[in-house]
Amino acid sequence: MRAKCALVFGLMACVGFGVSSLHAASIIDEWANVKAPPPPELKAVTVDPKTTALLMLDFFKQPCNVERNPRCVQSLVAVKKLLDEARGAGMLVVYTVYPTASGKPTSKDVLPEVAPNGGEPFFVGFLNKYIGTELEKTLRDKGIQTVIAVGTFAHGAVLTTAGVSAELGFKVIVPVDGMSSPTLYAEQYTAWHLSNVPVVSSKTTLTTIDMMKF
Amino acid sequence: MSDYRSVISSIALAATLFTGGICLSQAQAADIIDEWANVKMPSAPELKAVTIDPKTTVLLMLDFLQGNCGHRPTCLAEMPAMKKLLDAARGAGAMIIYSGFEKSTPSDVIKDIAPPANEPMIHSNADKFLNTDLDKMLKDKGIKTVIVVGTAANGGVLYTAGEAALRGYKVIVPVDGLSADDLYAVQFTVWNLVHATPTFVNGVTLTTSDMIKF
Repeated sequence: MRAKCALVFGLMACVGFGVSSLHAASIIDEWANVKAPPPPELKAVTVDPKTTALLMLDFFKQPCNVERNPRCVQSLVAVKKLLDEARGAGMLVVYTVYPTASGKPTSKDVLPEVAPNGGEPFFVGFLNKYIGTELEKTLRDKGIQTVIAVGTFAHGAVLTTAGVSAELGFKVIVPVDGMSSPTLYAEQYTAWHLSNVPVVSSKTTLTTIDMMKF
Repeated sequence: MSDYRSVISSIALAATLFTGGICLSQAQAADIIDEWANVKMPSAPELKAVTIDPKTTVLLMLDFLQGNCGHRPTCLAEMPAMKKLLDAARGAGAMIIYSGFEKSTPSDVIKDIAPPANEPMIHSNADKFLNTDLDKMLKDKGIKTVIVVGTAANGGVLYTAGEAALRGYKVIVPVDGLSADDLYAVQFTVWNLVHATPTFVNGVTLTTSDMIKF
């Protein structure tokens, strides 16, 4: 009798275990087992300045400072080079910032290294820069077909605005040395996302500033 | 004499280190492709139990389609939990909205969790607020809280949950309700949902379907 009980109990335990192992483990349980995929390939790209806009996303002090986000500050030299080339080629350059707890920054708050020249469009909005702004209209009115997205955070404004740009039908170019986040993890995922996720990846070219020709 | 020498050499060493430090801090950061192997995974975020008001809550069932979820074992493994969540939400009278892609119909949804005729389906790519009436549908019903589940995690869930938070909704994401082909993408989505949104916007609460009380 006791042996039978043990057998039944054992079977129940087994069944119970079987069921619980069938239940999907959540990502929190699997967290430590996650492996990063291999890096995406960077590609050289030639830009048509007439139909391309440079989106300068959130280069202002709040997200781009040495304490909070040193990789953003370190990206400014390369971004300045890109900005000069874009302006030299007569490209549309668009700036964005986002509202902060202390209010709405203005174009004067853009970091001096990469500041707007006075006449360049400037929009205030969170991650998706198309929401509540005239960004899409500005691009369509100028016949823009391709956007180059640089800025910070890579995993915030760049990921979101680049992704939505692709959904809106624009081609997207993201130079990895023009996007920055406080952590490499966030930059890594952004690079992977832009080159692997359907819709977004089919429209996006991942490159570096030196690999872009105007 | 030897003291003097050691002072001089200390100064020289300090000067070298200082100069080196300045050079290093001004140097351009290596881009993420160069840093790929050095990326450290962040720690897993905390899950929280939530109690929601069904009158002002919507459950968004994103892209649980045969042609999507049906080919993704990690998604299919979540169906029992999703069915339970759906039944609880319906039982409590919460609003339920399904989504699909451009040509999806309600019959494309995975059978166990398929919509009855009276529950709406919207059509869009990753960001379900883009080119749909979703915002209006939610506002018309006085919805304040959005529960987002679906697949892919880094497509519909990432963009729609992020967008909902920016639009002022309280967002709840049960981590056992989002899946992708790659665990890496699920991990990033979970991490990004709590890190990309500005802290003074209604944030995203991570939980599990079992930890949601109606």
